[in-house]
Amino acid sequence: MQWNPKATELFNWTVKEAVGKYFHETLIAPEYYSQYLSEIKSFENSSVGQVPHKTIELIAVRKDRSEFDCALGISPTQIKGKDYFICFMSDITERKLATKKLDKQKEFYENILNHLPTDIAVFDPDHRYLFVNPGGIKDPELRKYIIGKDDFEYCEYRNRDKSLAQLRRNQFLEVKDSNKEIRWEDSVVDPDGNTITHLRRIFPVHNEHGELSMVIGMGLDITDRKMLEEKQTLLVKQLSTQNTQLVDFCNIVSHNLRGPLVNMSMLVEFIEESEDTEEQEMLILKLKPVIDNLHTTFNELVESIQIKQDLEIKSVNVLFEDCLKRTIEGLDVEINKCGATLDVDFEPAPLVYFPQKYLFSIFHNLVSNALKYQSPQRKFIIKIRTKKLENTILLTVEDNGLGIDLVKHKENFFKIGKVFHHHPNAKGFGLFMTKTQVEAMDGKIWVESTPGVGSTFFIEFKIHYL
Amino acid sequence: MKPVANIFLIDDDKLFLFLTRKTILATKKEVNLKEFTDANVALNYLKEIVNNSELQPDIIFLDISMPIMDGWDFLDEYMKLDNHIINKPRVYIFSSSISPHDSERAKSIGVVTDFIVKPLVKDKFIEILES
Repeated sequence: MQWNPKATELFNWTVKEAVGKYFHETLIAPEYYSQYLSEIKSFENSSVGQVPHKTIELIAVRKDRSEFDCALGISPTQIKGKDYFICFMSDITERKLATKKLDKQKEFYENILNHLPTDIAVFDPDHRYLFVNPGGIKDPELRKYIIGKDDFEYCEYRNRDKSLAQLRRNQFLEVKDSNKEIRWEDSVVDPDGNTITHLRRIFPVHNEHGELSMVIGMGLDITDRKMLEEKQTLLVKQLSTQNTQLVDFCNIVSHNLRGPLVNMSMLVEFIEESEDTEEQEMLILKLKPVIDNLHTTFNELVESIQIKQDLEIKSVNVLFEDCLKRTIEGLDVEINKCGATLDVDFEPAPLVYFPQKYLFSIFHNLVSNALKYQSPQRKFIIKIRTKKLENTILLTVEDNGLGIDLVKHKENFFKIGKVFHHHPNAKGFGLFMTKTQVEAMDGKIWVESTPGVGSTFFIEFKIHYL
Repeated sequence: MKPVANIFLIDDDKLFLFLTRKTILATKKEVNLKEFTDANVALNYLKEIVNNSELQPDIIFLDISMPIMDGWDFLDEYMKLDNHIINKPRVYIFSSSISPHDSERAKSIGVVTDFIVKPLVKDKFIEILES
């Protein structure tokens, strides 16, 4: 081994001490001997000039046995016909430290990205993946696979519907073209049947020249928030319904209870003031219908309050046919009087899981309403049908009666105390009750009507599976 | 107002009309009472006599809660007519409602003079007649 003064500076061996020793035994840590020797060996079978100058990194040893990071360059050469190797060594401790620091930083940031509870994907300007964190793709193999690929390749690889890839591509292009962030919510159903909602956003990132350098996509799981939001919306809806009903109740108390009470007290006052027995008797006669009326109204009010409180009423399987039969028996006189035609078909959906009491009340109200408001100009026909839909059973009750101007009365239609025809027995309770009963069981009710043609009531029953 | 005031009572409750007429008669004041159980009929009549101040009302007592055309509906239509009625009758809303909402709503309507909670007592009637 020959040696230059710079080497003395680096290793502390004097020239005298170094010359004649084996290079590797003197200057390299033992664990790198074999690597060094194999490098030297690789030069043996090749001639000078054909082998490129090579640099390896290893740990070097000083005279005092202290170690440091070192770069070793080996060049084979011939001097006066003899083979030599020229080894260049340089201290790379500083560089090594800087690299280590960088690695540490990289690890630090990756750690953050990998542990954020957010899906993160970074794309190049051609919509190819540069990075995906475990929030985005859990499987480390897939995560590796996807780098450099696009969504179309990913969908094909995983046998997924390509429409999603196309959707993502369109969104990517929108961001790229507009240079603006877009955000949206999407919901998917997971294998357990739970709906998972993500708030997604993708936004462009530009370099200092204003060119698009990458596009970042993020997805935050907002299922909890979404569920809370839905709960709140439902609650607000319930509250406002209850509030409306409260106002309705105030009205009904005013008009339907206080009204008769005012009449009664006035009657009593006149009876007291009167000295004419005949007049007194006439006034007393007028009292009875008011009291009866008050009684009925009161009972109906109580009944409708009970529906609201009776949330645990028992549902059973009820045959529509049986229920209608009972209704017809109850309305026997009215039906016979007008010679009504009943056109009934319950074949498509013969039964429903519903509180029997409510279903009877619903039939009674709808049929008696239809009878009450039949048209004097034509023979009364009522058509009652059931139909099985996907998750519901639809009951339709269609008549050829007077009909109602829905444009004018739409909002009030099912409200308490609303009456749309002059009829001595119209108090506006029936439809309010029907609606309350249907909605208490998660159902829906609506009406279509044309004045002078007739009305059709629709009731949708939710199918409850046991 | 004419020497003998024309008074319209609009209320679907026949018993209440009967009792109110009785109350008014008991005041011994001489008035012409006209009763309507249907707001729409009252409205059509007002349209008919739009040029006849002799038959026009000086005071209208109007109920709110009525089928088909309720008191509010009547007022909507009435206001379109109001400018053409020479007599400029005073309109009193007449209701069994004790809801402050109804009373505020009634008083917010320009043509409405006042909101009266039923029943109509003799003193109140005299006060209205003589005001």
